[in-house]
Amino acid sequence: MQDRIIMHIDVNSAFLSWQAVYNLQRGHSLDLREIPSAVGGNQATRHGIILARSIPAKNHGVKTGEPVWEAKTKCPGLVLVPPDRHLYMKCSSALMDILREYSPRVQQYSIDEAFLDYTGMEKRFGPPLVLAGRLKDRVREELGFTVNIGISCNKLLAKMASDFKKPDRVHTLFPGEIKDKMWPLPVENLFMVGKRTAKKLRSMGILTIGDIASADPDLLKYKLKSHGLLIYDYARGIENSAVFPGYYMPMKGMGNSSTIPFDVENTRTARLILLSLSETVAMRLRYSRSCCSVIAVSIKYSDFRHCSHQQKLLTPVNCTMDIYRTAARLFDEAWDGSPVRHMGVRASGLDRDNHIQCSVFDHPRYAGNLQLDKAIDRIRNAYGIKSVVRACFINSGICASLGGMGSENWPVMSSTL
Amino acid sequence: MKVLNKPVDMIAVFYSSGRVEPVRFRYDDTPVKVDRVLKRYSEKLAGNRRLCFVCINDGSKVYELKYEVDTQVWYLFKM
Ligand SMILES: [Mg+2]
Repeated sequence: MQDRIIMHIDVNSAFLSWQAVYNLQRGHSLDLREIPSAVGGNQATRHGIILARSIPAKNHGVKTGEPVWEAKTKCPGLVLVPPDRHLYMKCSSALMDILREYSPRVQQYSIDEAFLDYTGMEKRFGPPLVLAGRLKDRVREELGFTVNIGISCNKLLAKMASDFKKPDRVHTLFPGEIKDKMWPLPVENLFMVGKRTAKKLRSMGILTIGDIASADPDLLKYKLKSHGLLIYDYARGIENSAVFPGYYMPMKGMGNSSTIPFDVENTRTARLILLSLSETVAMRLRYSRSCCSVIAVSIKYSDFRHCSHQQKLLTPVNCTMDIYRTAARLFDEAWDGSPVRHMGVRASGLDRDNHIQCSVFDHPRYAGNLQLDKAIDRIRNAYGIKSVVRACFINSGICASLGGMGSENWPVMSSTL
Repeated sequence: MKVLNKPVDMIAVFYSSGRVEPVRFRYDDTPVKVDRVLKRYSEKLAGNRRLCFVCINDGSKVYELKYEVDTQVWYLFKM
C-alpha cells in the first residue's frame, strides 16, 4: 500500500479567535487576540470556567478550564466574552467547506479540528507541504483566523505535529522525524496520556515520549493494562485508523449538564430542565449524524450528594422527545425528593444515524417527530438557537436550551482517532 | 473614513443573474441615492458572508455598504 499523507488542521485558540474576527467584522476596533481576554461563562449564574483565552491572557497565567473568578484574580483587567455556539458552528462549517475542496476525505474531529486525507491529491494540488502552506494562508485571508497544520502518514502523528509551535504554522512529523521532534517531549504531550497516566509513568521513571517508546511493553501492560500497549504504539508513531469522511465524530458519548442558579424542588421544574438539556444533547447528536442507545441522567443534590442512573434502549434514537422521555423516567426513578442543584443528561453508545432501525414499540408519532426535529434544527441553524422555543419554557425562568460549549460537550480531545 | 457598521433601510435591485445593486438608502432620515459602485467584493470572515460595495457620491464622498447574507441586513459600514 502506498504511504498515506494525512493532515491535521487545528484552529488556534478557536473560540477566542472566532469571536475576535467576528467583532472586527462588525466594526469593533479592538482585536480580542491582542489584549488579555477570554471566552467564559457567566459568573452570576454560577456557571463559569474559561473555555479559551488569548495569548496575552495566557501570559498572565490564565488557564483554560479554570474558574472565571480565579482567572479574574490573576488578571483583573481580563475582558470576558460569553460563548456563542451559533458563531462557532458557522466558523467551523466555513472551515470544513474549504477543507473539502482539497480532498473528498475530510473528517471533522471536533468543532475546531479536522483530518484531511491528502493521499493521491498531490497530482491535483501539489506537494503536501506547499498545499498546507497555501491552505493555512487561504483560511487566514478568507475567514480571518489562523490554523496550525500537521502533516504525516497517519492521524496520530499529524495531530501531534499540529500541536507543535503555534500559531499559523505548518509542521511535519514523518516517521523519520519522530526521534528528533517527538521523543524529547514530556509524556503528557502524547495523545491519550492524561494527568493520571502521566503520574504513573513518571513514578516508573518514564519522563519523555522517547522513554515510553523504549520501555518494556510487558511492563507497560502490567502497570497500565491495554492502555499501556496503546501508548507504547503511539510513542513509536504506530496508528492506522482511516479518515472517516463526514461530520460523524467517533465519540463515546456526549453529555450536557448544568448547575442551576436555584435549587430544584419540584418535578415540574426538574422536567423542564431535563427537557432543556435533552434538547441540546439531541441537537448535537443530529448535527454529528449520530444516534445513541444509552441514556444516563445525573443528579447532584444541594448537599453535594451525587447519583446517576442509566438505561440501554431497544433501538438507537436521536429525537429530542425520545431522549427527554427516557431521561424523565430515569430521573423519577433516581430522585429522592431533596433539593437538586446540578443535573445532567448524557447520550452514549453512539452509532451513525444512517441505519436507524424502526421498532413496533416506537412512539406512534416517531416519523413525525423526526421530521419536526429536522425542521427545527434548520431554523435554529439559520436564525439562532433561540429562534424556536418550546412554549412550556415561556415565563418559566429556565433557559430553553441549557448547556454551553464546554469541553465536555465538544471534546477537545476525544479518545478515538 | 470612519467605521460605523450601522444597519440601514435599503432599496436594492436583485438581478436574476445573481448580481446585487444597492440603489437608495436612508441615513439619519435623509434618503441617499447611490451614485456609483467603485468596487464590489464578498467577505467570509468568521464564516459570516457579506457582500461589500465601495461606493462614491458627488465625485468624492467614498463610503462602504455591506449586505449580510444570513441576516439579510444592509449596513453602512464605513463613511
Ligand atoms: Mg484548537
